[in-house]
Amino acid sequence: MEIRPILSALLRSKTAPVLIALQVAISLAILANALYVVSLREAAAARPSGIDNEANIFYMSTRPLQKHTHSDTLAQQQRDVEVLSALPGVASVSITNQMPMSRSGSTSGWALDRKQTRSSADVSMYYSAGPLIRTLGLKLVDGRDFNAGDIVEIDDELDDVGKKFGNSVIITKPLADFLFPGVSAVGKSMLYGTGDDAAEVKVIGVVERLQSSGASTRPGGEYSAIIPHRTSSPFSRIVVRTEPGQRDRLMADAETALRKASPVPLIVRGRTTENDRIERYRSERALVWMLLSVCALLLLVTGSGIVGMATLRVAQRKKLIGVRRALGARKLDILRYFIVENFLITSGGVVAGLLLAVGLNQLLVSQLEMTKLPLAYLAYGAGALWVLGFLAVYGPAWRAAGISPAIATRSA
Amino acid sequence: MFHYYFLLGVRNLRRNPVLTALMVLTLAIGVAASVSTLTILHVMSGDPIPQKSQRLLVPLLDNGPARGYVAGAKPTDNQMSYRDAINLTLAKTGEHRTPVYGMAAAIEAPRPDLPVEEVNGLAVGNEYFAMFETPFLYGSAWGEAEDRNGAKVAILSRTKSEKIFGKENPVGRRVRMASQEFQIIGVLDNWNPLPRYTHLINGNGGSLSGQDEIFIPFSAAINLQLGPNGNVTCLAETNPGFQGFLDSECTWVQYWIETKSISDRAALKDNLDAYMSEQRKLGRFQRQQPAQLFNVMEWMNYLAVVSNDTRLSVWLSFGFLLLCLVNTVGLLLAKFSVRAPEVGVRRALGATQGDIFRQFLTEAGVIGLAGGLAGLLLALGSLALIAQQSKDLSVVAHMDWPMLALTVLLALAASLLAGLLPTWRACQVTPAIQLKSQ
Repeated sequence: MEIRPILSALLRSKTAPVLIALQVAISLAILANALYVVSLREAAAARPSGIDNEANIFYMSTRPLQKHTHSDTLAQQQRDVEVLSALPGVASVSITNQMPMSRSGSTSGWALDRKQTRSSADVSMYYSAGPLIRTLGLKLVDGRDFNAGDIVEIDDELDDVGKKFGNSVIITKPLADFLFPGVSAVGKSMLYGTGDDAAEVKVIGVVERLQSSGASTRPGGEYSAIIPHRTSSPFSRIVVRTEPGQRDRLMADAETALRKASPVPLIVRGRTTENDRIERYRSERALVWMLLSVCALLLLVTGSGIVGMATLRVAQRKKLIGVRRALGARKLDILRYFIVENFLITSGGVVAGLLLAVGLNQLLVSQLEMTKLPLAYLAYGAGALWVLGFLAVYGPAWRAAGISPAIATRSA
Repeated sequence: MFHYYFLLGVRNLRRNPVLTALMVLTLAIGVAASVSTLTILHVMSGDPIPQKSQRLLVPLLDNGPARGYVAGAKPTDNQMSYRDAINLTLAKTGEHRTPVYGMAAAIEAPRPDLPVEEVNGLAVGNEYFAMFETPFLYGSAWGEAEDRNGAKVAILSRTKSEKIFGKENPVGRRVRMASQEFQIIGVLDNWNPLPRYTHLINGNGGSLSGQDEIFIPFSAAINLQLGPNGNVTCLAETNPGFQGFLDSECTWVQYWIETKSISDRAALKDNLDAYMSEQRKLGRFQRQQPAQLFNVMEWMNYLAVVSNDTRLSVWLSFGFLLLCLVNTVGLLLAKFSVRAPEVGVRRALGATQGDIFRQFLTEAGVIGLAGGLAGLLLALGSLALIAQQSKDLSVVAHMDWPMLALTVLLALAASLLAGLLPTWRACQVTPAIQLKSQ
């Protein structure tokens, strides 16, 4: 290959190639880091919540205008559940205090040993006296679901929750693996809180997955527990699983039915899990969208830079190309010359870009809590820029190859 | 001469129109991307009350249990217990002070045909309104006496007032809320500080969007046992019932203190430290940490109102601007290189290298200006697109005059920077060679 003459020609007029290489380097640095962030956010937003078929789930909260007594509230809960269960198209109904990804919920520290001064894990607390596992479609992977004997009634006004906690809890597999690595969690004891007063509770079942209400991307985002408490908490809501395709109709029907069944005016609010998911990941989506736009513009600007420079270089060497053609060079030789020249420039840029990308990543790691850039993204970025370089130079190079040898005989 | 060079630059925009358009467009895209992300950062990290943000202070008294505490760690929660809020209020700490907690209730409207109106608001002390300089459309704040008796009075936001009462002045009207009659004594005019610094830890709409729709006396809310609508952190045992909750070390009240002058901050800190050591005699504050004070900007920084994602966007878009700048250098080189004969003639007629330098740099500046104006349009367009992404972004994606000026300046600076090398090249033209070859 005629790399040596190409190189020496490059070295004779350095400025334009250096500028192109610099653009390639900057593009690669930004592209690799941006694509990595995009993949992180996409992966976070695609995590399953544990709920089976989220599209069939909605939940409602009802509140009377006046503060009700504990027993009145429980009676209303019971009535609401009955009203909703009776609606045609409803598959399952349960009470809960919070929902995955809804960004509002309760968390408590749990420990394993009374001597501990700090809790072992912060756990998202799902209080439910209903068939929550069935309604949400959670996958029970070990042990059993609650039965009627497990359920404990708690009156927040009178009862000391620590003393009346009950003796059963169902936890998620990630939490089970964290607290009891390598063994089955079923039958093991956990402490609600720390110290001598902490209630001791037995794990009776493990579900595969149930994200916390915050659905954090840290491991704690999947540390959840279901507690069989029947409470009159103002945070109670009723979660409904519908037959496929019936959700929106049933949401409207449910509100009407709940109002009709209540002797007093109610504040009724309904939400869907689908909506929660959109809201939870809205900022992730916004960032992904913004980074992808920057990446597209980046490639466009760099591509146009390469086209511009190649066109200029072809124009400057029109006569030389004619001479080469007159001396016997084939069209293919001319085409190859410009493609190889551009490949050399792009490669210089890619090498510098790899260093720049790693440097930028370190800056982001130290300043913005990013994680280390996997090497694969450097490879993707480099590949993308090589392809871009080839595509951008092909047009000008093709036109150069079309220059007639007769030009050599004309004066400039 | 500058004027002439400027006109020359404008006329030369039409030379190599494709090349010039490409340059203007490249600069415009680069500037638009960086300005639109910077606008968001600028609004999010703006000072919502510049005239007194240094004198408005948030005290943070770490009342967590000593058990399991690692010395020097941050407090678990950023709010205050009810006990401390009451004690600081009774002791008249600082020049002015107010507790703040989020409450939610439903208003039974005076007209039966209207549905029940849910309101998210704040329970605050009477000094809240003067401290944060809230504008009143009608009426005024309540006084100390109302705070003492837990009077059932309420101040509405303009939006909520118009929703319930229409355009008329509702002062003096009564509403039923939490089974009680509340008298409306005032309506706030539009007041949406950005960020919502007075109520950053909240349950209705995050630190940027959302609005506090009603304000009632802190004491009245407590008397009615209105539970907090927002974060509650309980690290120690609590007794059952609302009174048990009030007596506990649970933190759920946000507190603000205004000092008379910036220099009073040290004295206030001593005052709070003294309060904490006094309380330690009762067995409280066992973590032995000193009181912390934050002014408005420090507080927003401490609570990380500006997310790392926002900063990431700004950094990467400025990287993109750098790319556009390098691209423009290349294009300007191409544009100026064909002008060597012209330079040769000017030099031969007596123009100095300095003259050529000024002429070509002015021309680069003209291109930058055009890029700046086009960039401004693009930035406005992209901000409009960004605003549609989320409620929070729709509040912050607004360009103000400083950002507008910055857009044009940024484009101008970028073009001048990009013009340096091509202009220097143009200055190096040897007149003799150029004249000979013609």
